[in-house]
Amino acid sequence: MSATRNSQPAERVGGSPNKPPKPVSDGPGFQQLLHAWVESHRTSLLDSLRRLLKQPIGSFFTCLVMAIALSLPMGLSLLLNNVERLGGSWQRAAQISLFLKLEASPAEAQRLRDEIAQMSDVAAADWISREQALDEFQQLSGLGEALKELPDNPLPSVILVTPEVVDKANLEALRLRLAEQPNVEQAQLDLVWVERLSAILKLGERFVFGLTLLLVSALLLVIGNTIRLHIENRRSEIEVIKLVGGTDSYVRRPFLYMGALYGVGAGLLAWLVLAFGLDWLNDAVVRLAGLYGSDFALGGVPSGDGLSLLLGALLLGYIGAWLAVARHLSELAPR
Amino acid sequence: MIRFEQVGKRYPNGHVGLHELSFRVRRGEFLFVTGHSGAGKSTLLRLLLAMERPTSGKLLLAGQDLATITNAQIPFLRRQIGVVFQNHQLLFDRSVFNNVALPLQILGLAKVDIAKRVMSALERVSLADKAEHYPGDLSTGQQQRVGIARAVVHQPALLLADEPTGNLDPRLAAEIMGVFEDINRLGTSVLIASHDLALIARMRHRMLTLQRGRLIGDGEAS
Repeated sequence: MSATRNSQPAERVGGSPNKPPKPVSDGPGFQQLLHAWVESHRTSLLDSLRRLLKQPIGSFFTCLVMAIALSLPMGLSLLLNNVERLGGSWQRAAQISLFLKLEASPAEAQRLRDEIAQMSDVAAADWISREQALDEFQQLSGLGEALKELPDNPLPSVILVTPEVVDKANLEALRLRLAEQPNVEQAQLDLVWVERLSAILKLGERFVFGLTLLLVSALLLVIGNTIRLHIENRRSEIEVIKLVGGTDSYVRRPFLYMGALYGVGAGLLAWLVLAFGLDWLNDAVVRLAGLYGSDFALGGVPSGDGLSLLLGALLLGYIGAWLAVARHLSELAPR
Repeated sequence: MIRFEQVGKRYPNGHVGLHELSFRVRRGEFLFVTGHSGAGKSTLLRLLLAMERPTSGKLLLAGQDLATITNAQIPFLRRQIGVVFQNHQLLFDRSVFNNVALPLQILGLAKVDIAKRVMSALERVSLADKAEHYPGDLSTGQQQRVGIARAVVHQPALLLADEPTGNLDPRLAAEIMGVFEDINRLGTSVLIASHDLALIARMRHRMLTLQRGRLIGDGEAS
């Protein structure tokens, strides 16, 4: 049995009277689809921003927690870079000490110094005579009176060689070559401290890497949990959106923007924390370095590193949000 | 428009929601689905909205088999359907205008077009002057009319309503039914699930009667 039909013409919202309605979704052109896509992104971005600004304190603290998680490994990494820079400058000052035979005359020692200074892998060579060596030793050791009792000067003359190339293999090769020179009793290269520093830096790098992994995981959990709460708060809205034809990507979009915005906020805060933190530390470091006669100072946050931090934070926020939405989207089927 | 062919719905717990249901709805038709609680009215609507899938038989909506439709196709199917709920399902943190605009925003229409269509839909339900109000400021009847405006603003081919007058007094219920008839006159198929037999009888449209998931009556309400 059919329904009672009434064919009375009436005005329709955007439609023609007496004709079956044509859904507005039928046959959208490329331009309409592109416009829809752009408009949807713009709306989602603005809506996410509005929701974050609506709860400024909550949003700020979420960003702050994320910023702390970001600035810890980044700050340690920057400090390590500074220590590496410092270690590098010390390493460049590494010298090979050539102890000459006691019978070597000053003229022979001077000639040898000149020959060594002309070597391509030697930056400089300085000769310290036996008398200079004894004077220095008397002043520094505090054994001045006892040394005066000795019948002869027991110290050899020394040539201090500053190498051009500073890696360990080249230094060792140079040391062996110098040891074979005439009148050279012993060639000594002390690289133990460089190796120790290098080992400490490697350990530091590994520690920073591990800490980064841990804190990135924590950050993903923080952003994931924050987005999950946003999803829970908007559950009924999501159900309605799905019922009126919203796709999963339409539902997901504002949350992804929200995650990215949290990331940007956290990245900016972390940048600020690091810039102020390093500046604050720098005063103490400069004072300490000054006591050792060094003009060493901590570098700030290089703009490249700052931008990488910002981009990384944005991506982490986005990925954290994506993981959270992907996990919860299937639970958001209309009921 | 809609074709049920031996459609069955059995839930994992063994409960049978629908039992070999067969009927057809023509384009532009107005019909009621009635029956007691648990008769299968809501299951039928949920199948049409692809919220659930039939476990047997064939269910075609505008030529599309809802038993085999992919998840990715479901949103596009729903864009051809308008749905009105007993509890309105309005978003209380959005204005009436933005509630009604939602399906058009999902379609990505230009702001100008959205404004034009939303105001027309609100005029149709006599709520144009409430566009900037929030649903919480409106009476239950007005909220239901906002729900109807949202359901028809994108000119769906099919309008589904689940107990749309369940919370309304008889005068408001009759008014809401009048709005549905207006929409139907424009060519939209209307399917209303209701157990208000007195109201259905007054409307004199086709009525499907369900009992324990089986179709036990198909005829004009009287």
